[in-house]
Amino acid sequence: MKVLIGIIATDEGERLFILNNGQPVLVKADGDNPERIYSNYSILKQHPSKINDEPMKGPGVFRFRYGPVTAGVREAGCFHLYTYGEKILRATIDISWKQREIGKAMQNMPPESALSMAERVCSNFAMSHSVAFSRAVEMSLNISPSLLTKNWRMLLIESERIYNHLYVIYKLASAAAQRVLAAHVSALFEDALRLNENITGSRYLMGINNIGKLNRTPAIANIQKIANGYGKLAEHFTELYKHSLTNYNYLDRLHSTGTLTPAQAGELGLTGPSLRACGVTDDMNDTTKHLISLPVITQKEGDALARMEVRAEEIVNSCQYLVNHLRASDSWYETEKKENEFTKADGKGYAVANSPSGALGYYVEVKDGKMQHVGIFTPSYPGMHAVSHMLEGLIFTDFPFVFDSFGVHFADAAC
Amino acid sequence: MIRWWPLYGLKRKLTERKEYVSSVKLRLSTTAVFKRSLFVYVIDVGSSNALNFEISALEAPQYNIHRFGIYLTDSPRHADVLLILGHPVQAMMDPLKETISQLPRPFYTITIDDNPDFPDLGEYPALPNHIAAITGVPSPSEILGLLLDVAKIKRKRS
Repeated sequence: MKVLIGIIATDEGERLFILNNGQPVLVKADGDNPERIYSNYSILKQHPSKINDEPMKGPGVFRFRYGPVTAGVREAGCFHLYTYGEKILRATIDISWKQREIGKAMQNMPPESALSMAERVCSNFAMSHSVAFSRAVEMSLNISPSLLTKNWRMLLIESERIYNHLYVIYKLASAAAQRVLAAHVSALFEDALRLNENITGSRYLMGINNIGKLNRTPAIANIQKIANGYGKLAEHFTELYKHSLTNYNYLDRLHSTGTLTPAQAGELGLTGPSLRACGVTDDMNDTTKHLISLPVITQKEGDALARMEVRAEEIVNSCQYLVNHLRASDSWYETEKKENEFTKADGKGYAVANSPSGALGYYVEVKDGKMQHVGIFTPSYPGMHAVSHMLEGLIFTDFPFVFDSFGVHFADAAC
Repeated sequence: MIRWWPLYGLKRKLTERKEYVSSVKLRLSTTAVFKRSLFVYVIDVGSSNALNFEISALEAPQYNIHRFGIYLTDSPRHADVLLILGHPVQAMMDPLKETISQLPRPFYTITIDDNPDFPDLGEYPALPNHIAAITGVPSPSEILGLLLDVAKIKRKRS
């Protein structure tokens, strides 16, 4: 399976950043007629900050502006909803309110400083950004991180997945007025953030990863305790999730809301849980294949319920994965012998990480030990396109179920 | 078969009893008018999103902020405190000013700047009744400690 996740303008011409069976590759765009091969090519090429921006006219149709300051969507972003009353006829999403031009700001910085900025593109995906960026720089400078570093990166990405998925389910339960479920999932969300802090000293897993190495390795003495913490979290969440599946008020709000077909997901270039919820088995888990690969969770329906179910099952899987690997992690420390020093100062590299919402890619060019060009390709950008299209034809009360179920963020989309 | 949620909810006591202390010193002396309740409106002006997550974590039952009379409100017109998240990007300056103009008096503004070192974002603008400024990503405990200081609420509540 091939997915186009970004288009890069280089000195040698345009390059397509493609995920081929889970592995990132750069290919020349010239002569291949990429628009025919990749249906999301024009979206990524034009990269509009106003998504689906086609004003709509008709009897009684007006534009309802929602954002950038609203309690419903707390992030700085704006929706322009065209409607004649209850039904949303078109949804334009304006991501420009949060544009910080982080890729440009990284230019001329040393890789370590730019890494710290990558973590703050969207801090709830800090580990994924950090890992994708550091892998790209490592490729460009020909650095090979140790097994310990590689393994911890994998584990920490799963930690990130757990709290992000819990957050999405908490938002969905809140939107469906499931107060008890929302409160308990919110408590687990806080527990997951505390576990992150216990492992790395940061609730958002920031500042631990570096180019070619880890800034600090989690203390072996705490690891069994943390593994038990993830075991308990999985146990509590499973109990809660099973309980929620007997509640038809909750399920009815999610069922058949924002239904995405595999063809639509392919056209928009989606990856991650939103794609897997339409029954497509993506290959993102292959990025972890040097440890045991996680099973790929899929659902068939493609609606908000399917997206929630994929995330719920991934929480349990990731917890189990962490428990198993944390308990065996003391053997990795024996492999940590070398200090990675930069021997090269110039190069080009690209890499992806399996973020909680899909493939997250970086393309970097390093010259004289400083960043010359950084391209950031986030899962929230195609995700915002999907939200925009899925909202069409729905009623206003469906809005949070569509938006929250995709797990997209303005900070991530607008970087 | 449908299972009854309230029974599930009663099984576990999640609220923690601890003292919430903030290391941030208030810039202004506060009024005791918010002693019984403090309504907080949150605005994101360009944060990297960890702060939005921390506000959601603050709503978790472990903190149970309602027991202190602290509530997150959906409108600035109902707010006593405007909690401003992130370093303002240019596009959000006007919405921020507009939101401040909607606050009823007396009010306070609190800023949490998670990206103080980002280039090209400029200086933080001067704000009215700016009672506290935090840099970095504070934990929910620290944010709660600060709100308790602003409201002059006694800390320990069962």
